[in-house]
Amino acid sequence: MRVRIVSVLIAILVVAALPWLLQTPYWRGILVLCAMNVLLALSLNLVLGYTGQLNLGQSAFFAIGAYVSTILIKSYGWSFWLAALVAVGGAGLLGLALAAFAVRLRGHYLAIASLGFAVITYQVLINWENVTQGVRGIYGILPPVRSTIGLFYLVAGIAVLVYVLMDNLVRSPIGETLRAIREDEVSAASLGINAAVWKAFAFGLGAAIAGLAGCFYPGFVGTLVPEAFNIVESFTMLAMVIVGGMGTMIGPVIGAIVLTFLPEVLRDFGEFRLMIYGLALTLVVLFMPGGIVQAWRALTGRR
Amino acid sequence: MKLALKTAVLAFALAALGAQAQERVIRIGVLMPISGPGSYFGVMGKEGIDLALEQLKGSVSGYRLQVQYEDSACSPLQATNTVKRVLEQLKPHIVIGEECSDASLAIAPILEQAKVVQLNAGSVTMKLTESGYKYVFRIFPNGEQQGLPLGRNAYTKLGARTAVLLYEKTNAGVDSADGFEKHFVAAGGKILARIDFGRDVNDFTAIATRIAALGKVDVLPTFGLEGQQVRLSQALAQARVVKGGGGNAVQMGSIWLPYGFDQKAGAAAEGYIRIVQFDPTEKRSIVQDFIKAFRAKYGADRVPTHINAHAYDTILLVAEAVRRGATDSESIRDRFSKFRDVEVTTGRISFGPNGQTTDLSVIHFIETQKDLTWKGLDW
Amino acid sequence: MTDLLALFVQQSVNGVYLGCLYVMVALGLTLIYGVLNQINFAHADFVTVGAFAALFTATRFATKVLGLPDTGAYLLSMVAALGTGALLGLAVNAAVFAPLRERGDELRPLIATIGVSVIIENGQLWLFGPIPYQFDSPFSRETIRVGRIFFSMQSALVVAVSAAAIAALYAFMKFTFLGKALRAVAQDRETAGLMGINPNLLIAITIVIASALAGVAGALLGPVLVLTPFAGASVIVKAFAIVIIGGFGNMQGTIIAGLLVGIIEAFTVQYLGSGLIDLVVFVLLLVMLVVRPTGLIAERKEENV
Repeated sequence: MRVRIVSVLIAILVVAALPWLLQTPYWRGILVLCAMNVLLALSLNLVLGYTGQLNLGQSAFFAIGAYVSTILIKSYGWSFWLAALVAVGGAGLLGLALAAFAVRLRGHYLAIASLGFAVITYQVLINWENVTQGVRGIYGILPPVRSTIGLFYLVAGIAVLVYVLMDNLVRSPIGETLRAIREDEVSAASLGINAAVWKAFAFGLGAAIAGLAGCFYPGFVGTLVPEAFNIVESFTMLAMVIVGGMGTMIGPVIGAIVLTFLPEVLRDFGEFRLMIYGLALTLVVLFMPGGIVQAWRALTGRR
Repeated sequence: MKLALKTAVLAFALAALGAQAQERVIRIGVLMPISGPGSYFGVMGKEGIDLALEQLKGSVSGYRLQVQYEDSACSPLQATNTVKRVLEQLKPHIVIGEECSDASLAIAPILEQAKVVQLNAGSVTMKLTESGYKYVFRIFPNGEQQGLPLGRNAYTKLGARTAVLLYEKTNAGVDSADGFEKHFVAAGGKILARIDFGRDVNDFTAIATRIAALGKVDVLPTFGLEGQQVRLSQALAQARVVKGGGGNAVQMGSIWLPYGFDQKAGAAAEGYIRIVQFDPTEKRSIVQDFIKAFRAKYGADRVPTHINAHAYDTILLVAEAVRRGATDSESIRDRFSKFRDVEVTTGRISFGPNGQTTDLSVIHFIETQKDLTWKGLDW
Repeated sequence: MTDLLALFVQQSVNGVYLGCLYVMVALGLTLIYGVLNQINFAHADFVTVGAFAALFTATRFATKVLGLPDTGAYLLSMVAALGTGALLGLAVNAAVFAPLRERGDELRPLIATIGVSVIIENGQLWLFGPIPYQFDSPFSRETIRVGRIFFSMQSALVVAVSAAAIAALYAFMKFTFLGKALRAVAQDRETAGLMGINPNLLIAITIVIASALAGVAGALLGPVLVLTPFAGASVIVKAFAIVIIGGFGNMQGTIIAGLLVGIIEAFTVQYLGSGLIDLVVFVLLLVMLVVRPTGLIAERKEENV
């Protein structure tokens, strides 16, 4: 227990210090993006890593968070936090809708259903022009906190909070229930676990967190276009979870950090940037199946 | 001894002055989509810019031109990130970019706040020069400037009364289609249908079939990139909708279609009427010299497109500003706003009060002949 | 023929051709999934590579070096595309699928093939550039007209070759020893192994066949698609949808699903607008998954219980 409290405190200190280590607007912007990605990776990990549900549609909830909050703020003049609350709720509800599929489907079937979910959400955003402006986009969006440092502290603070709460959750009996569903759903049912309810819980909560991350995205970029939420984003989130280490708490955090900074660091490689990124991704998945976390444990364990 | 000392001091002083002289740099940031599907624009843009820099031997009036390229991938997120990156790494006096409307709009407020000139040579969206930005300049004709001649002339010169709009589902496509519709309808025309298509559509026979069933269509204004346009034209010809296939409708297009499109589309392109801004058959020496240099550098079988030309022109304009005494962002902005009839490959540049180029005299109509050559129309 | 009837028939013809286009891409995916339980996300990129291989073989090699007439050059290019696809399949199997096989993992090979897809797309971008290539086959400029109905000769070729490929595959799976062995491995890998069949070898063969199919699809579709390094990305997600709607690993289902998606696409364009194609197809997908999760033709695997 004490170790955990100390680690959380150290994490908070590191987070607080980061904007002073990376002092330029560009790198601080990347830090904000990183914090958002950490939230997204954590949200997906809950559904995928701990509950074992193959979810390829997380980008849909990210998108709902971004669009619902922005529309409420821009078209109806709502305040940021009220709009965010509704957006998070909306994303959560949509997550419950996807959970309805998860109750009946497993494995690759669920994977494609969730992918279809994401495609449908994306297409609705493009085509429902009266509400979302479609491909024209929404411009001049302001973040809830004007300064980049402030925005980073806000999003990173929320990420740390979510991490701590989720950590407690997975260590609790609820976490055991989710893991039981992941390991063997049939046996879990024989233990009296109502898989449907707990899957709904995981999907809904995961979707809500992704929606929360989505609320900060438009203000950060200043511009909101549907293209930002095409299904490639789902795959990027998936990669973050797997590269970091699925089913652990710190894994998604590491994966998010690595996969946010890697494309930026590779910018000096010009036209080879994405090829190297693809190569790195493939190699990590091939040779470090448990992700960076497992490789780290193997390294430190063998000493 | 005193003489030697004096000589040494003089030598040092001269060297110091020389070193100071070498400090005279104009820093240019370039945001282009080099990766992803948008690389269609970025790769060609970079070719144009590289050629111009090479011809200038990297300096103008004693000022070295220092260029940093960034990959903005046509996305507002990446454009925002890379513009911040270039602002702090290079501290540019001017940023050229982007190509895609979404990305150009995303970086405009950032550059405005940093008081750095943004020179745009690829985006169609009206919003770029109508949002009140003082540091934005654009040499690319916007949706209105392309739509007006197309829409009005379709009615008056071509006698068209009905039209079906065909456009790619992007910011640029929508703005272009709106531009045509506004002026065609104002002149008295009627839009029978607005048909959009995503950038991932490969086959257009279903769309062509639908149009064939719409009854009498006089013009088909189409706004899309060359790859899809080739397929679209061929499908329309197959469906016997357009002149090139034995039908009656006339396709109309914007400046997006490069020279060489007609050969790729084949017989289907016959009767295609479009506006061009960069015309490789133009006699002006600046155009012919550009083409010669382009072929020398990139291959004798290549004809530069308007994307190459527009990007090339941005460097010409920067160089001209420097020749007129600009040394930093404010003075570049000042010289740009005073530009009258500065000649570049895509015409003559005079910037209006909102930063949009106002001289469209080079833009002219051409019609594709049966042998796939261009014939100028004096509309 | 009345106008409405002609319209209906024409759009149906368009739909069948579109469907065959998707089936040619999806068939290989189904084959791999049936035997391996894995999705190869780079499959559509194999099609693009096949198309480029075919283009360069036909225009640079066959006509200029060998002096073949156009039709001969095109046929040769199909062979080249087939070979290229096969090689790619071999490489990806050796590098990605084989090493990850023991774990029975569903996700990691998928992510690895996503990485491969990124590498292939960007490699092609570096090699070939982003400007669309013009790939003309001897058939792509000819139109066949039957009364008021039209279709291009290339699309007829696509339909013909896909039908032939399906028939050949069906015969192969049903009547040859290798085909039966493959079906055995698909049903139960362990038992098949116990019966003296080398599952790893058979899986490798399957992937090579599927990827060779992708290559040939590239040669056929090159004159039809907008040929850039990203051509694969425009069809891959719909190809997935077809594989599932048809029933994972089920070839007849894939064919029916492909044709269905093609026809739905044509009629969606006619009555709703092409911007809504993806929406309609994926709503259909979700409906299928709810109503009949095992696909159009229920497969024998009871994985879904």
